[in-house]
Amino acid sequence: MSTPAHAPPAGGVAAPREPRRSRPPARLRKILLPVLSLVVFLVVWQIVAATGVWNETFVPYPSTVWDAFVAVSTTQDGTRGYQGYLLWEHLYMTLRRVLAGVVLGVAVGVVVGLAMGTVPWVRRVLEPWLTFLRALPPLAYFFLLVIWLGIDEAPKITLLALAAFPPAAVATTAAVAAAPVGLVEAARALGAKPGQVIRDVIVPAALPETFTGIRLAVGIAYSSVVAAELFNGIPGIGGMVKDASNYNNTPVVLVGIAAIGISGLVIDGLLQAAERRAVPWRGRA
Amino acid sequence: MSSRAEQDLTEQTAQPEPRPGAEGSISADGVGHSYPGRPERVQALGPLDLHVRPGEFLVLVGASGCGKSTLLRLIAGFERPTDGTLTVSGRVPEPGRGAGVVFQQPRLFPWRSVGGNVDLALKYAGVEKADRAVAREGLLERVGLGGTADRRIWEISGGQQQRVAIARALAARTPLLLLDEPFAALDALTRERLQEDVRSVSHETGRTSVFVTHSADEAVFLGSRIVVLTARPGRIALDLTVDLPRSGVDPDELRGSPEYAELRAQVGHAVKESAAVRA
Repeated sequence: MSTPAHAPPAGGVAAPREPRRSRPPARLRKILLPVLSLVVFLVVWQIVAATGVWNETFVPYPSTVWDAFVAVSTTQDGTRGYQGYLLWEHLYMTLRRVLAGVVLGVAVGVVVGLAMGTVPWVRRVLEPWLTFLRALPPLAYFFLLVIWLGIDEAPKITLLALAAFPPAAVATTAAVAAAPVGLVEAARALGAKPGQVIRDVIVPAALPETFTGIRLAVGIAYSSVVAAELFNGIPGIGGMVKDASNYNNTPVVLVGIAAIGISGLVIDGLLQAAERRAVPWRGRA
Repeated sequence: MSSRAEQDLTEQTAQPEPRPGAEGSISADGVGHSYPGRPERVQALGPLDLHVRPGEFLVLVGASGCGKSTLLRLIAGFERPTDGTLTVSGRVPEPGRGAGVVFQQPRLFPWRSVGGNVDLALKYAGVEKADRAVAREGLLERVGLGGTADRRIWEISGGQQQRVAIARALAARTPLLLLDEPFAALDALTRERLQEDVRSVSHETGRTSVFVTHSADEAVFLGSRIVVLTARPGRIALDLTVDLPRSGVDPDELRGSPEYAELRAQVGHAVKESAAVRA
């Protein structure tokens, strides 16, 4: 075995804390900067809209979009939200579809990734197919799914699952293949059987990277949501955006885009928190 | 020796019955190891003959790259020798059968606590779940880490991590303990304390130990037998039986004795000479 000159002393001594200066505390800066960027964005938007360079149909005022948001979120003059559904109902339906698709795609992806990472011939057989699927934009196979599965929930969920599957599979494959040889050897030296090595060493070692793959998968599935809800997508945020665009209803389109983006941020934050809980050893081994 | 682990050993090995009394012995006849290289195969080790009796504490010493770690990996069963025959306890060695291994890095599983790492080793050794808690605490106490079972791996020092690795290697109660420069990355003080502990552990448990190091001092302090290897391909340059008083002697007193100094000089000289051949 080769001998590195010095392994870093692991653990034991706490890293020295950064000394506090008279600058604003880190937490404040962490919140302040994003809020500031949002304010700047709104101001620039207002100015651009006010110059009247573009027709208001293309670039509505921020206040118009806010009004659309309120209208879509409430019942006004007997009109309930957008197309009879409130904003949160659209969002709820979309999230349900994304959840179903992602759970399916990630579950299959992780299992396939495990197989590909541990059994060389499985990897050789499946890798080209996976790369092929990964190269396709979801819209490309959506029409095929509509022909096969109709326009109800099945093609939508299948599309989201197909979008979530490759990143989960690729990340798991890479993670499993990169499982530290030293730890595998240590387990074998302790008498672990091949199945035990996979369960007790390779799977947990692959977990951090697999989590990254899951986050990617959720992101890709989420970004495919408008495509998935192209047909018969109401209720659904994607359906709402698509329908509103048919009528040049830019404010509602923007409300939909904001809803997708913001809920995406929240979901990624939740996933990151889950990751910190599930793999506390990340970056320490 | 846990009867369960022993049963597994004999049941699963489709080989002739080991000779009685061979448990814990190592027998190498004409053992050499080479690996593919350009333009021709690189001879890393041997050929060499080496016979280790049960209960011996063998220290393999030599300069970097002399093949001492290769020999240890062959004994552990991670690799098969390309030449000659090698048996451990009378059988062809296989990982996880009959030899606990401590590597240079602790190689602990970070997703498990200190106790969890030992538990896993006990599970692989066939210890019933109900008996593991007691066994785990006993092993941790033996390496001076009693009461630390719930600590996270990254919360303990490098020396403590290596202690956990030793506890883990002892869990299976194998007749052999193999250690590959386990203290090279530790500071001098921690290293000395761990050396003392390893010596008493191997003494108390009666295991055959093979310890790889490039330090003549470590070799003399630990070994009941010291084998110095030449530069690559490693052959036996010096085979020395150490007859220092072990039991009931203060480690510092031992290190300060004239016999110790003399042996140390002898081994140090042999290591230097064997390395010089290459340079």
